[in-house]
Order: sequence, then C-alpha cells, then structure tokens
Amino acid sequence: MATVQPSAVPQVQRGVEPLRANQGASFIWRKLHSLLGIVPIGAFLLEHLLSNFEALKGPIAYGVQVKFLNSLPLVRVLEWVFIFLPILYHGIYGVYIWLRGKSNIVYYPWAGNWMYLVQRYTGLIAFVYIGYHVATQRFMGADLPNHPAAAFWKVQHELANPWILAVYVVAMIAVCWHFAYGVWLFAAKWGITPGEIARRRFGYVCAAGGVLLAAMGLASIWAFVGPKYQNAPENVPLSILVAPVHAGATYHPNGFQCVARS
Amino acid sequence: MAAPKIIVVGGGLAGLAAVIKIAEAGGTVDLFSIVPVKRSHSVCAQGGINAAKNLKGEGDTTAQHFDDTIYGGDFLANQTPVKGMCEAAPGIVDLLDRMGVPFNRTPEGLLDFRRFGGTLYHRTAFAGATTGQQLLYALDEQVRRYEAEGKVHKFEGWEFLSAVIDSRGIARGIVALDLRSMQLRSFAADAIILATGGIGAIFGKSTNSVVCTGSAQSAVFQQGVYYANGEFIQVHPTCIPGEDKLRLMSESARGEGGRVWVPRAPGDKRAVKAIPESERFYFLEEWYPKYGNLVPRDVATRAIHKVVYELGLGLDGQPMVYLDLTHIDRETLHHKLGGILEIYEKFVGVDPCVEPMKIFPGMHYTMGGLWVDFNQMTNIPGIFAAGECEYQYHGANRLGANSLVSCIFGGFHAGPNAIEYAKSVAAVEGDGGAATEVARQAEINGKLLKNEGGENPFKLWRELGKAMTEHATVIRHNNSLKQTDEKIVELLERYQRINLSDKSQWANTSFAFTRQLKNMLELSRTVVLGAMLRDESRGAHFKPEFPERDDERFLKTTKASFTGSLEGPRFEFEDVDVQYIKPRPRRYDAAK
Amino acid sequence: MATKTVTFEIKRQASPDAPDVWERFELDWRPGMNVVSAMMEIAANPVTADGKPTTPVTYDSNCLEEICGSCAMRINGRASMACSALVDNLDQPIRVEPLTKFPLVRDLQVDRSVLFENLMRVKAWVPVDGTYDLGSGPRVYPQQQEANYPLSNCISCTCCMEVCPQFNVTTGFVGAATIAQVKLFNNHPTGKVFKEDRLRALAGDGGVQECGYAQNCVKACPKQIPLTNAISDISRDVMVQKVKDWLKS
Repeated sequence: MATVQPSAVPQVQRGVEPLRANQGASFIWRKLHSLLGIVPIGAFLLEHLLSNFEALKGPIAYGVQVKFLNSLPLVRVLEWVFIFLPILYHGIYGVYIWLRGKSNIVYYPWAGNWMYLVQRYTGLIAFVYIGYHVATQRFMGADLPNHPAAAFWKVQHELANPWILAVYVVAMIAVCWHFAYGVWLFAAKWGITPGEIARRRFGYVCAAGGVLLAAMGLASIWAFVGPKYQNAPENVPLSILVAPVHAGATYHPNGFQCVARS
Repeated sequence: MAAPKIIVVGGGLAGLAAVIKIAEAGGTVDLFSIVPVKRSHSVCAQGGINAAKNLKGEGDTTAQHFDDTIYGGDFLANQTPVKGMCEAAPGIVDLLDRMGVPFNRTPEGLLDFRRFGGTLYHRTAFAGATTGQQLLYALDEQVRRYEAEGKVHKFEGWEFLSAVIDSRGIARGIVALDLRSMQLRSFAADAIILATGGIGAIFGKSTNSVVCTGSAQSAVFQQGVYYANGEFIQVHPTCIPGEDKLRLMSESARGEGGRVWVPRAPGDKRAVKAIPESERFYFLEEWYPKYGNLVPRDVATRAIHKVVYELGLGLDGQPMVYLDLTHIDRETLHHKLGGILEIYEKFVGVDPCVEPMKIFPGMHYTMGGLWVDFNQMTNIPGIFAAGECEYQYHGANRLGANSLVSCIFGGFHAGPNAIEYAKSVAAVEGDGGAATEVARQAEINGKLLKNEGGENPFKLWRELGKAMTEHATVIRHNNSLKQTDEKIVELLERYQRINLSDKSQWANTSFAFTRQLKNMLELSRTVVLGAMLRDESRGAHFKPEFPERDDERFLKTTKASFTGSLEGPRFEFEDVDVQYIKPRPRRYDAAK
Repeated sequence: MATKTVTFEIKRQASPDAPDVWERFELDWRPGMNVVSAMMEIAANPVTADGKPTTPVTYDSNCLEEICGSCAMRINGRASMACSALVDNLDQPIRVEPLTKFPLVRDLQVDRSVLFENLMRVKAWVPVDGTYDLGSGPRVYPQQQEANYPLSNCISCTCCMEVCPQFNVTTGFVGAATIAQVKLFNNHPTGKVFKEDRLRALAGDGGVQECGYAQNCVKACPKQIPLTNAISDISRDVMVQKVKDWLKS
C-alpha cells in the first residue's frame, strides 16, 4: 500500500484502560470491603453504642456491661475476627479506594458528590480515631477485659482532657455519619434500592438512624463528663451484679449507684 | 480464493447495513468513517420507518406503499428498485425489531405504527421520535459484534479522498486521509461501497450534520461517476431556524396530529392563545382537505412559502408559521414525540406542549445522488453506492420515513452485490494505480498548504450556502440559477487563493474542510445546472416559469458527468423505468 | 449603538505534547447563539481578542442537535454538549476546555474510543441468527419498551464518565454508560442470552464495583438516562451471578 506520512507525528497518550472483562479479583475485595462495613463492623458499632448507652445508668451498669461482653465465649477470638481485622481491612482498603478516586467537587458541587467526599473524610477520621481509641482503651492503661470494674473510671479519665473530649465528639459524629451513609450506599450499590424514590426514602431512614445513633453516642459521652457521675471510683463493685437493679436502689452523693447488699 | 475484501465508506444506516451483509456472507470489510460510526448523521432521523405491515386493519399493502412512493416522487424514480424496496420493507422492520430496536408498541406487544406524509395509511414504525438513532445503534451493535469476531476493521477518523482506479477503469481501492496524523494512505479492495449520505453542507445551513458535505460523492463524480437528479433537493417544511444549523422538527409531529397555521390577519399581535379558532388559518387543511397537514414535504413547503412570501402572513412578519401540538395531551406527546419536543425546548426555550412551535422550511434531503444501476453499482466497475448518496429510490420527492428503509435496503442490496462482483472481477495488476493516486492526492494537499492569498475557506462556504439556499431550493428561476452558477464559478476561482490560517499537519480540521469545500463547489454545479436544464416543475423542483410537469420532455433521469472545464458538467437524460405504474397527475387536494 | 458581544476563553493545545494556552475571543452576540456557532465564527475569522491571528479551533461535532454525542467538552468547568450550550444561559467569559479524562488529540478534541471498546467487551448487542427474514421479533409490551427506551437513548457522549470521580487511569472504571447498556441488553428477550457473560465481564477489574455512587453521572447526562438505577440493578445482578457461579463451581 502506498502512504505519504508527514514527519514527526505526535502520539496520543494512552487513556483510561477499557474494562478488563472477567479478569482480576478487585470485585471480591471491593465487595468484601462494602459488606464488612455493614456486618460485622456496622453491627458491632450498634452494639458498642448500645453498650455505651449503659453509661447513662452509671459506672456500675457500665462496668457490668463491659464484664458481660468480656464473658462471651471465645471473646478474644471474636474480638479479632469480627472487630479488629474487619476494621483494619475496611479502613486500609477504604483509604486505598479514596486514593484511587479523584474528587471533582469544585466543578460539580452536587449533593451526591459531596456525600462521596464526606464519606471519605468521615471514614478517615473514624479509622484514625478507632486506632487511637483501641490502643488507649483496649491495650493501654487499665486492662479492662480483666478489670471491667475500672471501665467507667478509665473512660472518664480519658475524657477529662478537653482536647480528647473534642476528638471523641467529632469522631462520634463522623462514625455515625459514615455508618448511616454507608448503609444507604450499601442498599444502593447492592441493588436493594434500585429506584430513585426508594433511594430518597431510604435516605431519610438512614439520616434519621444516623442522627439517632449520634445522639445516643453523644449522650453516652455526656454520661462520662456530665455532673452526674463525677469522680467515679477506679473500682466499682460488680460481683453480685447478676442480680437486677431493683427499685429500691439508692444513689450515693458521688453519683454512682449503690446496690443494696442483702 | 481468499474471502472478498470490500471497503465501505460511511457508517450510517446504509454503510452499516452493507457491512453486516458482507460480514454475514463471509467477506471482510474495512469500514471508513469521518466520525465514529455511532455518530453518523442517521442518528438525526426522527419520525420512523415505513413498512406496509398492515397491523392496523386498514388493508395496507406493499403495492400501496410502492404506489405512494412513486406518486410522492412524482414518477421520477425507476420503479423496479422502488418496488423491491417496498416489498422488502416489512422484513426489514421485523429484522430491526429482532435486533432490539425499542419500537413503540401496542398494548398487545406488537409494533405500533403512525401516519406520515403522503399516505393515508398508518405505515410508519417508530421508536419515540428518535427512530434513526435507535436504528443506527441496532446496526452499530451488530457491526461491533462482527468487529469483535475480526470480520470488520473500522477506520474511524479517516476521510475518503478518492477511489483508486486502474488503467482499465476498474476501482481497486481507495485513498484516505487520517484526520489525526494527516497521513495519506491507499487501501486495496475488490470493491468499494460509498454510503456517504447527503450534501446539506452545500446549502450552508440545513438539517444535515456537519459531515454531510457530499465530498465523497463529488470526488468520485470528478473521477467519472455519473451524478443523477442532482437538482432534486428536499426542503423540509418544519425546521427550527438556528445560528449554526436548521434543526429538524419531525413530520411525526403532524403525523400525531400537529396542525400548521398562521393568524388570518397579517401581523396579528395577539398572544397565540388569544387568537380564536375562527381567526386561525389552517392553510394545509383548507387547501388539501384529503391529506391535510400530511401532504408530502414539497407540497407543504411550497404552501408555507406561499403563506409567508405571497400572502404576507408570516408570524410577526417573520418567515415563520405555527406548528401546533397544544391540543394534544402532554402524556401522549411525551410518549410518542418526546425526543423532538425536548430538542425544541432545549434550543428555543419554549415548551411546545404549552405554546405552538414556530417553524420554517429548511434544506433536508438529497433525492439525487450517484448514479447506480439496479445492483447499486455506479458506472465505474467496483464502485457501489447506497443510501442518501445515491439517487435511486425517491424520485423527485422523498416521502417521510422512506429514507431509513431506502438506506437499509440499499445497503442490504449493495453488500451482497459487491461480493458477487468481487468474486468475478479480474485480478488486479500491480498496485492497481494506488501509488499514482496517492501521489495525486499528496500533490493536492501540498498545493493547498502552500497556497498564498487572502481567501478564507469558511467565508467562501458561507457565500456558497447563501447563494444555494436563496436560488436553488424551494423556488427556482432560470436567471437566478444562472447567476448562482456564475457565483460558484467565481468561488472556484477564489478557492485557488485560499490561504489556510492553519498549515499544521496534526488534526487540522480546517485543512480537511477546505478539501471538502472544493468538492462541494464542484458538486453544487450539478444541482444548479441540473435545475436550470429541467424546465418543468416536478416534486421538489419548482419553477414558476414552468409550473407544470412535462413528462414528454422530462420524465427522465438527469445524468451529469464531470468535464473539468469551466462550462461545468455535461448533462444527458435517461428514460425512467415506469413499467409498473403509469404516470398520472399528482395532486394532494383530493384522493389520488 | 455598540453591538453586544460575547467573550470566550478557549484552551488550546496544538498537539498532545504541546503546551496549552488560553486564547480569548470577542464575538458579536446573535440570538440563539450556542458554543458551536461561536467556534464556527472563530473558524471564519480566526483572530483573538487582542487581534492576534490564530488557527480555527479543532473540536468534534456533527449533528448539532444533541443526538450524535460528538461535541462534549467542558464549558465553564462542566462537561456539556457544545451544541445545546446556549450562550445566553452561560456566565461570561465562557471558558471552554477539552474533557479531562480522555487523551487529548488537539484543542478540544479528545479520544473517547474507550467507550466503544467497553461496549464490545460487554457484548452490547442482540445476537440475531441472521439478517434474512425470520418473521417478527419477540413480543415486547409497552411497559417494557418504556423501561428500555430511555437506556437506548445513550448518545455515547461520555459526559457520565468525565464527571465520575472514579473514572480515571488508576481505576480503569468502565463508567456508567456501559453499565446502562448492559442493563438494556440484559432486558431484551433475545439479548439476555448473554446476560451471564455480560455480568461476569462487569465483575472484572474496572467493573461495576468501582462505582463510588457519587451520582454525578445521572446529573450530567444530557439525555436524563436513569444511570444510577442501572448501576444499582446491575450491581445486584453481578453479585447474584458471582454467588451463583461460586456455588456451582
């Protein structure tokens, strides 16, 4: 064939690669990330927030809850398999996802695009916070699994620092936001809410749930820093706490619950 | 023997239809297109595709479709191919349906049909108001399937420049230009099929897409292919005038009940809604009670011209009339015409469900084109043509919704015929003249890049478009046609002094355009001089000096051949095949 | 009276390896003017606002009525179709740039062929037996047609890909347009024979899982295609397919 070619032809760069149909395992890793966010991480978050809520009843109730959780069979295994490892994976893979996306909120300041961005920031806040939180509360200081009686005291001490308190408040909101929008995203991306209206309605549900969780979480924080249970003792008596708290219980002026000894 | 190698130029409906047939028959295809084929002009077709499926209990037949088409084309079309097309149409629509075109449906799940101009039957299958887009996509998808199987190789972003013709006058391939690297290259083939669409750009602004310059047709015309019936240009009655183009407002708007009117009082200043029914002039309905708003396009266009220019009833004194859909409920409109209403609203900013649209005729379709025999082959062996770029199916005026069927039918016909031809053609000697042709094209390119002078190609083009639109569309006078030809000659002369502001050799679109412009200028002479020679009125060709059809002298196909001389093309006339339907007067004010 | 003018700033780049420059143009305003007609005006008179001669702008366009999908570019920062971008609706100066996610060819022209390649990889077609006459197609009820028709309106403009934060060279994400086409063909009575193949293809790297559900696609789509709905549906179908495949393996 005959050709006439001008000299020095520029080359068009390679762009985005086409779909690698049927290749690679990113589908599994990505879906695992997504699923872990709901179970077990989301489920654990609910459990944790409910447990925290016990703090509103005082140091003993809180200690009892901690003790109960630590009395679950194979608790150390459960802890690693269902909490630490999933969170570690979800967090690290989440950062990986973040680094691969390129936000363009400047040009397209649309609601979904904002949420996309906020989901990444709240996730990062949550991940960093959780790392700190687990390190300080689980692995440093008083060994709560073996001394659940010190639980309230330990948290209260931590939150006594206003900076740390601020971190907890921000993190609480971020975590609840991340979880609530995460649930919404899960429903959208797993095809549970494929309809526009369904997504909008479920959005309201998730928003309400998120607000409720955040409120519960903040209320729990309040239990530690509010006036009611100031100066909780390092060791509350938990030995006979299998008995239900009865109506005749009285309160010590210090603010923690006294259980009538029989 | 190796599988025949066919080159198809143009990736619209006709081109893709040909590609599919060739690939299916075991041939291999190189498909050339300026734009990615999915962006071809066929996407712009709106209203639908005709096929006498008779699913509305009206007793419609393919014979009736044939008669409507011949009658609508004012008996200028050769009847044998038209008959074949009308008979094949129901099968084509079924095939498209099987390919997944989302045609509108009846409640029972069957194809729905609507009425279109120039017929009294519901014969037009449609997919909303974006039928052309849906059809093109269906064929594009099939071609992609063959591409995945390696039977089709696409050259998108390549422009056809000329055919490679050997010393015996047989086409052996093409020379094409890579619009990115500006590389010139020849491609060998056993046969080539041109499916390069209409010539709208010659008229400056038209309903056609940017690529519809007629450049490819003109190139082979200048290499010796006859150009037939060039003077027959369809001006669509309902377009939205725009700065960059005239946007089509589909005939389906009238097919679904749209009414064309103007206020009876000239310069009526009242708001549309304030004008009572009795003071509205539904001129098409009054003048053509049988067909009403669905008269053929040439008739509607002339009526609008008359209302505006002779009766002085244009809206606000402007060349515009109302196309009114506001009496139809929004739901129905959205369902059946959504796409076009959206276009109007987007580009004009007015909701046509609420306020009547303001429309005016605009250049729309090229009935004429490359001369082909009944096998779709031109007079140069090995060059075939299909679709709007050839002249065969529409005579002096095309009926609405016949273009899609003619494109697909033409492509389906051209593909297998090209393979048959390729099997029997004598083997090529040497390179078949490829090197010579590439050198010729390189010389043209080199000259263009070196040109000195003060002319700007885009300005010349505007002048061409203005002259053509003014004198060679709806109303034609011999003296102004003559002036127009003189103008074209002047432009051809000034073309020699074009100085390109961009002389680079990378994605130089103005360079490519300037090459097309030369071809446009050459081809426009066949339109103008063809019109000048035809001293009669027939279909879209209307001369007030000769208002009647003259079968005695002009029931003939005009064939132009390129001479290269200043006098312009040489013209001859060929008898029309009228073996099935005897020509009779064409009128739409009463039953035919 | 001074004529009303329109100011354009256009990002020019002579070739993929050339530096980019912004050029400013002052044009006479005309009613109904759009960005494409401004380009045409510049081509006929290629002089910048400071009187400097320049070259006509290279850009893709064809139908000029927002159905061919050619003329997507960034206008005032946003991916838009230049033909339907009316000057009267835009803040001035009107800043015009090429799409950013596709390899640049020249000026406003980019190479968007990746979409067509993606369509091939998901077998976006109905596998008919042949083009000979085999009678009518399968029955399709109007309700189904109404569901499919919007998906079939995709003009391949790639706006959905341009605005997607996940569509980039790192992810190699397939983008919303292709996913919507998978839904279209999986819905078709004949097209669905490849349903499983298409879903498996979309589970490959760069597949549907890369979606971050920022929902920009559906906002930017000039044809209002329900892209997010399609992504939801197809994500679920892909998941179900993967589970089935796993259980059957």
